[in-house]
Formats: sequence, C-alpha cells, structure tokens
Amino acid sequence: MQIQMVVFSAPKAGSAPGEWEDRACGGAVTGRPGQHPSGARLIVVDGATEAYDAQRWVDQLVTSFAPTAGATSAPRLERAAMRAWFALMQDRWALESPGVFDSVIEERKFTEVGSFATLLGCEVDGLDGREPRWHAVALGDTVLFHVRDCRLLATFPPLGPDDFGSRPEGVSTLRSRLDRMSDRLLIGRGTLAAGDCLFAATDAMAHWIIRAAARDEEMVWAVLSAIAHPVVFGRLVDDQRRVGNRAERMKNDDVTLLRLRLLADDPELLVTCL
Amino acid sequence: MYDKDISRTDPGCIVFLLDRSDSMKQQWGSSQETLAEGAARALNEILLEVCFRSQGEPGKARHYFDVGIFGYGMRPVAGGEGVESAFGGALAGRPMVGLPELRDKPIAVREVPSSDLGAPPSRVPVWVEPVYGFRTPMCQAMAVAGGHIYDWVTAHPASFPPIIINITDGMVTDSPNSGATLEEWARRLTSLQTSDGPALLFNIFLSPAHGGGVLFPASARGLPAPGPNLFGISSPLPPLMIANAGHAGFAVEAGARGFGFNADSRMLVSFLEIGTRVELRD
Repeated sequence: MQIQMVVFSAPKAGSAPGEWEDRACGGAVTGRPGQHPSGARLIVVDGATEAYDAQRWVDQLVTSFAPTAGATSAPRLERAAMRAWFALMQDRWALESPGVFDSVIEERKFTEVGSFATLLGCEVDGLDGREPRWHAVALGDTVLFHVRDCRLLATFPPLGPDDFGSRPEGVSTLRSRLDRMSDRLLIGRGTLAAGDCLFAATDAMAHWIIRAAARDEEMVWAVLSAIAHPVVFGRLVDDQRRVGNRAERMKNDDVTLLRLRLLADDPELLVTCL
Repeated sequence: MYDKDISRTDPGCIVFLLDRSDSMKQQWGSSQETLAEGAARALNEILLEVCFRSQGEPGKARHYFDVGIFGYGMRPVAGGEGVESAFGGALAGRPMVGLPELRDKPIAVREVPSSDLGAPPSRVPVWVEPVYGFRTPMCQAMAVAGGHIYDWVTAHPASFPPIIINITDGMVTDSPNSGATLEEWARRLTSLQTSDGPALLFNIFLSPAHGGGVLFPASARGLPAPGPNLFGISSPLPPLMIANAGHAGFAVEAGARGFGFNADSRMLVSFLEIGTRVELRD
C-alpha cells in the first residue's frame, strides 16, 4: 500500500505568512530507498499565541519528531518514551536559549511562562501487510480524524464542539509541567484500509470540521478529500471565516490541515505546486 | 457583543482608575502593606502579566493593548488634589501608552525576595508607585479618563470595547460634579462603545479589615455603603470573563457584575486577572 500526504495551511487573517505558528510534517518510513513504505509518521503542532518564541518551539518539536534523515531523537508513541522526549525537548530549548534578553520582562517570560504548543503525533504501520494501523498521541486540541467513504470512523482526541477553548493541554518548555504533560497525554489507535483518509487539523480547523460534519458529514469529507491546491484551501478558509453565523464560522486563527490518504496502488499522477 | 478577539490590527484598551486618597494609607488587613502599596503592587503585577502576553517574539512586544492609569486624590506631579496619569518616569503625564512602550519604560526594576525558599530574588518592573493624600474625586477621574477613552473608541471602532477598572477604598467626595452624579458619570463612561459593545466598567472596593469580601456578586443585597452604589455602576461580566472566573475557581452566578467588595490583596489580584483577560489573536 502507498500513502499520499499533503499539508495545507493559512495564517490568521491580518498576519503575514511568516507569522504562521502551526507546523505540520510527515512522510513515509521505508526500510531502503526505492522500496514501498512500511509505514508513515506525521506530526502537527500549534504554537500558542501567548507563548514565548512559539516559532522556535514548534520548529524544534517538528524537526525532532518527523521521519527526516538524522532525526534520531524521534520518540516511540508510548507514554514513557514521550515523557523522555518532552524532557529532551525542554533541555534542548534551554540549551539554545538566547542567554541575553532584551528586557527583564522577556527574561521572566522565558523562564516563567516559556513556550507552549498543542501536539498530535501519529504513526501508520503495516503498509506492507494486510492490516495497516494508525497509532497516535495527543496533548491538546489538535485533532486526528479517520475517515472512510466520507464517513467518520474516529476522532482523536475524542473532542466535541464544546471542547475547544483557550486553555488546552500542550507541550511546554517548563520542566514544572513535565508530570502534567505525561499524565494528560492521550494515546489512540485504529485499523486502516485502502482508500481511508487521516486528517490532522489544528484547533480552528478541527472545531470547524466537527461543527460542519454535524450538519452534513458527507459534504465536509468530500470537500476536504478533494482539495488539491493551496489556493483552493485558502479560499475555503477565507470563506468560512466570513460566515455570518458565529456558530458556523471558522475562528480566525492559524489553520493547518494535514491529509494522509492510503492508496492500494501507486498514484498515477504526481502533482507539484509551484 | 464582547466576542471580538484582541489583535494588533484591532488592539484593546485597559484603563485603571486608582484611588490615591488619604484613606489609602491604612494598613491592609494583617499584611505589612498599606492599601496604596498593595494596590500599586497588584497593578504592577497585572501590567507585567499583560506585558508577558504581548512578548511573543524575542526582542519585541506586540501592540495588543493601550493602557491608561489615572490616579485620583493626591496628584504627585501637579500637586494638590485632582486627577492625573499615574505613570511615572519616562511615561509621566501620558494618558494612554501602547504595550511595546510600556514594556520598555518602567520607572524601575526592583529586586523582591522570591516566594520560593532558596530561590534568587525576582526582578520586578515598576510602573506605578504608592501615593495617598486628599479626598476621593472619583467623578472627576471618570470625566478625565472618559475623554481619553472617547478618543480611543473613535480611533478603534472595531476593537473589543475598553475595559475600565476602578480601584477604590472610599466614598466618592465630588458627586455631583459639573451637575452629574457618580452614577451619571459612570453611565457616560459605559455609553462609549465600539461595534463590539459598550465599554465595561468594573469596580473593586478595598477594605483594610480582614475577611468578608465578595467578588463578582449578582446582587448587592446585604452590602453596606458604598457597596450598592458601586454594584449599581458596575457592568455585567461578559461570557468570556465569566469563563475566566470559572477557570480561576470562582463560582459565578448568572447576572454577576464586575464588582468586588471588601476585597483583600489576593482578591484584588484575581479581580484584575479575570477582568483583563481577553483572547488574543495575532
């Protein structure tokens, strides 16, 4: 089986593209170059607006977690390994701290508040076998949706429309938060089939998906499955941010959607956006 | 109403009215502080917290808020009784200051002992100093602040409405002022509005006695003077601040107002945190 993975993103309206504080990354895990993948690994993180230097923190998390060459620190998706990885990330953050700060406020923000991001990490394995599976960890309100034939099979973490707020759990740079991060880490899993899609979305998109799917599930998954170009995604986000009904409107926040599709065969076309 | 996020495009406005009358020299409960010292400390803490929220990228602060502080009672700069900006140092005399400038221009950075045993002292920026003297010209404070808030809402018509927090320990001594009572001045303040709703006026009454304080009541029943009057001029808490209060562990009833009575120093800090927390966007 093959995977096809794509990431769409949009910064908050009014922000520059460079101010996007989410990150998403993923790819196939292969035994040897040229072979079909045995699995895949992905991560989506959402840096908090009020965090200190959220961009550096989310870059660090994604770089360490993603299946890129040399990412030897990538953790196994189990509680003890994730706890050790959180601690490693905190140590690395501190080691690469500025040392000299612009003001006492910045120094205190760094030491007392630090940085913070929600996390969704996922692995797919068994692509070379009969029953591929997904296995995920989550802290906060970045959400994984498992969809088959435009029907939702699983939402992980299992959040409802009222579960999105301004104080989610997440990965903090503060050592004092390590126990809480480890305790609150959620672990989920599911079984995949050819044609299934996994969607990983940061909170504004996930919240919109959950509310829109409650009205017309088939339409939502059909639309999200068919998006093939960042401009189309950008238009969808713009339109949904402008919806008059607040209950249906997409919150103006950084938006990220990673889509992973399982294919029975090699894709016929390779599309590149330039 | 009250659902607009704070952003650099549409920043918010927080204005503090700080009682600097003679009665603020009283000892605050069993603490070693006067009411004036405790109120100044709480204000400096909340200003630091607001600056924390704005400190995103290294080396720069985001302009999420304009902040004003008006002292009433003693005027340390102009002298005598009246109302003036309570900012000191490089910001002295300024009615309203953006967060990046506020961050860069405290009066001083002082070392205070850490509450953690054995930890080094904390370095604390100071923007407001404790001052007291004369009577309590609260109407005049609302009139002066109102002029600046009028200018602000005119310049920011799409922003979250201004939040005005009045910190006092005494009875108003200048009502009526220019023909208007305190209630009328308060109504004038809360008639200033953006497209997201009218300005919010919250009041907190400090008590030198220990215990018996209430925060965010839904009724003034049983409160001695000036409780009912201050309750009456306080705005209902909008939903996001009811949620803030819930997160902070306060059980808030429907119809709760932004009002505190006979508050101790911890209640003042909670009141300021809950009353100034609005969601930030970009």
